[in-house]
Amino acid sequence: MFRKVLVANRGEIALRVLNACRELGIRTVAVYSEADRNSLHVRFADEAICIGPPRASDSYLNVPAVISAAEIADVEAIHPGYGLLSENANFAEVCRASNIKFIGPPPEVTRLMGEKEKARQAMKKAKVPILPGSDGILTTAEEAREWATKVGYPVILKAKAGGGGRGMRIVRDAEDLPNLFHAAFTEAANAFGNGELYMEKFIEQPRHIEFQVLADEHGNVASLFERECSIQRRHQKLIEEAPSLQVTPKMRDEVGRTLCHCMKEIGYQNAGTVEFLMDASHHLYFIEMNTRIQVEHPVTEAITGVDLVKAQLRIAAGERLDAILPAKLEMRGHAIECRINAEHPQKFTPSAGKITAFNVPGGNGIRVDTALYAEGVIPPYYDSLIAKLIAHGVDRAEAMAKMERALNQFIVQGIDTSISLHEAIFQDAGFRAGDFDTGYMERFLAARAEAEKQTA
Amino acid sequence: MKQQDIEDLRQLIEFLKSHGVSEFDVDRGDLKIRLKFNPQQGAATGLSDLARLLQTAPQSVAQAAATQAGAGTGAAAAEPAANPEAGLHMVKSPIVGTFYGSPSPGAAPFVTPGDHVEKGQVIGIIEAMKLMNEIESDVAGEVLKCLVSNGQAIEFGQPLYSIRPA
Repeated sequence: MFRKVLVANRGEIALRVLNACRELGIRTVAVYSEADRNSLHVRFADEAICIGPPRASDSYLNVPAVISAAEIADVEAIHPGYGLLSENANFAEVCRASNIKFIGPPPEVTRLMGEKEKARQAMKKAKVPILPGSDGILTTAEEAREWATKVGYPVILKAKAGGGGRGMRIVRDAEDLPNLFHAAFTEAANAFGNGELYMEKFIEQPRHIEFQVLADEHGNVASLFERECSIQRRHQKLIEEAPSLQVTPKMRDEVGRTLCHCMKEIGYQNAGTVEFLMDASHHLYFIEMNTRIQVEHPVTEAITGVDLVKAQLRIAAGERLDAILPAKLEMRGHAIECRINAEHPQKFTPSAGKITAFNVPGGNGIRVDTALYAEGVIPPYYDSLIAKLIAHGVDRAEAMAKMERALNQFIVQGIDTSISLHEAIFQDAGFRAGDFDTGYMERFLAARAEAEKQTA
Repeated sequence: MKQQDIEDLRQLIEFLKSHGVSEFDVDRGDLKIRLKFNPQQGAATGLSDLARLLQTAPQSVAQAAATQAGAGTGAAAAEPAANPEAGLHMVKSPIVGTFYGSPSPGAAPFVTPGDHVEKGQVIGIIEAMKLMNEIESDVAGEVLKCLVSNGQAIEFGQPLYSIRPA
């Protein structure tokens, strides 16, 4: 096992990784920006090194600074957490060249999964169902029309260079295609300097289903079941659950097996998550893979009893999966996670500042992952996630009852939080019935806005 | 309160804050306002136990190296937040790495206390990822003290030299 590990991250995930290290007897090194000097991850690490000014690009994303810190602290491995440098193949390569173990897959695999088209092809080869689409760039509207006929309407045109919803057009009818093609092209060219488009089948009202995998460095792979993350606002997840009510045992088994085979094929190592869209007929379509630990990993930990971060450390230290996982992986109960953000629950404006009161709920089946504390200050430089609240019950009904109780007892003052938004969602009949897709939040917020207009 | 009153109050608060007023009362018959502003940041009084506990940082790598090396000036390798004597300028490290006071082992140091330095003059080296980075003085003046020792691990923002600007 490693003697010393550096955690190249901040906030709740840095503390999460530090905790796992400490429990395994590993000495911990935290890195921090000047804005995070009074952070819990700094306070609870064995050693801490300031690596730069507040801006993430000058500190947490500054590869030379992180590597230099790892060298002067003489660490054996770096855990990158999620976000930041965790899916940066270049960083993983620099670690390798500096003789520091990167806790994650090899750089080549990270790179492969990071290139969307290559990832799709690798999955297709391994018989993982992928979203039907054009094989590459569409040069003319006519070519687009041909593909659309093959793929079947509705389709979505997407910018190759793009993101954030720009350069995208949903096409439901063949006659609209030429106009929408040109509109998407122009928008993409203006936004990204590159108007090139590709096409995918468009799933109306999809659900977001993802599968957790673990692979050791000896060719063994296991699937730790799925999570459903359909409650999203602007592509940011708000609530996640495990398992998904929509996945049957047969589906779970088949997809699990296909993914294990696929991960072996591509030489995957360590933890990863394969993301799918599910259509109304319960078909799954691969969209992308995240080659790191995810924010919502606690719900999987709750239903499997497996500590995923410890598994990552042990895999990286060379242990075999059969020493890390139980002989038979089973699901127990139902778990839900709420991401509590420092933002206004209605306007969604970010809320930086000092926390004046902080009461964290506890009790049977409640877990809170947070790096905040009373009188803690939230700096404005980073994302707004301040806590993850996880409820684990014998079934979904109990998990919801625990979550509601816990949300009610989670008191944060001094900043705005999304706690009351979560409370409202848990009272919504549609959510309670498990009746949702990725469009749920948009409809929920629109309905709320409408209701407010009427009472005003 | 009417929207205009709220706007007036906001302006009043800004005005008071910018003039460093700490307490303000007004009783206008129909309206009574009492404002009390928090003391400045950094005041040690009023800190809760938790905050004080949390202000105890873990051993920084620089401190660990200093105590190990038993360097004479090791005490000065405290948190970068340490307050220097008034009027002195601290040259702080712009990167993370290992400090060297001379261009090569055994060579004469770049500067010694008492030397006059110009702005931009090289006063030390920090090695990071096998590259030697020259550290330049950002002011002209007299070198008072070298605050770190040869081979010491340095973090971002760590004071390296104190200089009396000339």
